[in-house]
Amino acid sequence: MMQEARGKRQETRGKGQEAGSTHHGSRITLSQINLRGGLALIRRTWLSWVQHRSFFFLLAFGWMVPPLIYLFVWSTAAGGGTVGGFSRGQFVAYYLILIVVNQLTYSQTNWTVGDVIRYGGMNSLLLRPLSPVFDALSSEVAGKVVYMLFIVPVTAVLALWLRPELHVTLQNGLAFVPALALAWALRFFWGYWLALLAFWATRADALLALQDALIFLLAGQVAPTALLPGILHQAATWLPFRYMVGFPVEVLTGQLDAAGILTGFAFQLGWLAVTLALFSVMWRTGVKRYSAVGG
Amino acid sequence: MTASQIVVKNLCKTYRVPEREAGVGAALKSLMHRVYRDVEAVRDVSFEIARGEFVGFIGPNGAGKTTTLKVLSGLLHPTAGEVRVLGFTPWERRHDYLRRISMVLGNKSQMLWDIPPLDSFNVLGDIYHVPPAEFKRTLDELVALLDMEELLTKPVRNFSLGERMKCELVAGLLHRPDVLFLDEPTLGLDVSMQARLRRFFAEYNRRSGVTVILTSHYMADVTALCPRVILIHHGQLLYDGALQGLAEKLAPFKLIRLALSGANGQAALPPEADVVEQENGHLTLRVPRATTPTITAHLLNTLPVVDLSVEDPPIEAVIDQIYQEGKVEV
Repeated sequence: MMQEARGKRQETRGKGQEAGSTHHGSRITLSQINLRGGLALIRRTWLSWVQHRSFFFLLAFGWMVPPLIYLFVWSTAAGGGTVGGFSRGQFVAYYLILIVVNQLTYSQTNWTVGDVIRYGGMNSLLLRPLSPVFDALSSEVAGKVVYMLFIVPVTAVLALWLRPELHVTLQNGLAFVPALALAWALRFFWGYWLALLAFWATRADALLALQDALIFLLAGQVAPTALLPGILHQAATWLPFRYMVGFPVEVLTGQLDAAGILTGFAFQLGWLAVTLALFSVMWRTGVKRYSAVGG
Repeated sequence: MTASQIVVKNLCKTYRVPEREAGVGAALKSLMHRVYRDVEAVRDVSFEIARGEFVGFIGPNGAGKTTTLKVLSGLLHPTAGEVRVLGFTPWERRHDYLRRISMVLGNKSQMLWDIPPLDSFNVLGDIYHVPPAEFKRTLDELVALLDMEELLTKPVRNFSLGERMKCELVAGLLHRPDVLFLDEPTLGLDVSMQARLRRFFAEYNRRSGVTVILTSHYMADVTALCPRVILIHHGQLLYDGALQGLAEKLAPFKLIRLALSGANGQAALPPEADVVEQENGHLTLRVPRATTPTITAHLLNTLPVVDLSVEDPPIEAVIDQIYQEGKVEV
């Protein structure tokens, strides 16, 4: 029985052989993407993760604490009036949305990629006909679903209690969706290229900690970026971090006019292009180095 | 395409390793000025393997076996030399190539701990694009061969080492690879599980015609499974041929076992014969292969021999000597 099946597959495989020498495997081309395998991986990772719901709920809780603190700081500061144009209810709306956006864009896999490289896990991933990026993506998708099971009800309860002030226009609502998607992509690939430094240096994750600190400061967590003073405001505008978290929140809460939204998208797309280029260069040279020195 | 599925010509792999002495001072110094040392892991190794062969890769730790396997499976690119497997250059890691090989590592796991193996197997079926009907047929066959029906739906974290290895094998074979690299598949398993897996490997190789390269430190694996062995030591190929020939070629001595009626015959032994063992009237001698007949005749003539047998040295002893000295001395 086995021989028959083999014979059949042998025929279909014949074609691939001649092409063998021209192609370089570490480049991700369309034929190399293997969507079916990627989707299956996502499904499995999710199955594995729902086994540990409570652990991920605790993680999610940990991540929502800092924005929650700033929610109370700023809404208390605003009191009955406004701070920098924000009323108490507007601060509440801003931070509640920020909690959700921060959760949706946070790439925890950035922290694990380095470990996979350091502890030799990359070997098994490189042996499969599937780009290792899918492993990170599958954890991302699985994680988002599990975190949302926690974050959405908690935020809803907070909203009922804290009475946010939010008027979403159609334009802002529509712009929010791509802004959020791009924010996720930017944050994911930015962290991923930093994590790939593990191919060269053993403690590359120090840079990830620095990234988290910069996001805390410049991406709208410690304060909405509109409220940042002079040079910090400039830094927030030009560096990529605001476009990973703060920008979509500003879009949805109506802080930006049409020009502001378009400028934001331009920065987001520009930084995403730069990040993807960095990621692809790092990936290619990293794998090349890995296969030279051995895992 | 040649008749051989695996062609390795003059393969060399040199690692550049940063070198520094212990201590803080040395660490700081190495930040400024790194000193590298070249380590030749594989030196000028050539061999060819035909479809369906079962080849044992042997050699001591650090001999270059794993490096060679990693080059063949595409994880490493060589410093020099030519390698073709199934017509592909492995380190290009084309998906067409990766779909046709499999590497099973005794110390690495593909399984997720929290979910039953069946879920992991299904994912692999999708990653390797195995048609559903073929997937089911292969899975049933492997599960039957390994007798592991009851494991399919339990979480992997509760498995013993042997049960996990069975899962690894199914995971590695679901896509029916043409070439299989087995790196220490029996590592840490108990004797009966080792024997079980050996029977499985032999049966699977016979049924499917898969080409297998096996590395193992258990000589029993190699003697049971591999008609052909490739011996690597210090990165160089020392021997390529039948396992039996290894002893003949690399161990130029034989063992003579004697039972004597008188207790003491030592005085009459010829100088070429080394006494390996001595125990109430039983003697084991190690003698040069070439002079074995004359020594045997001499012994029969001069000693009160009750029983005498001439044997090749046990393969473990030959291997041990090669591993320690890089060659076999008389």
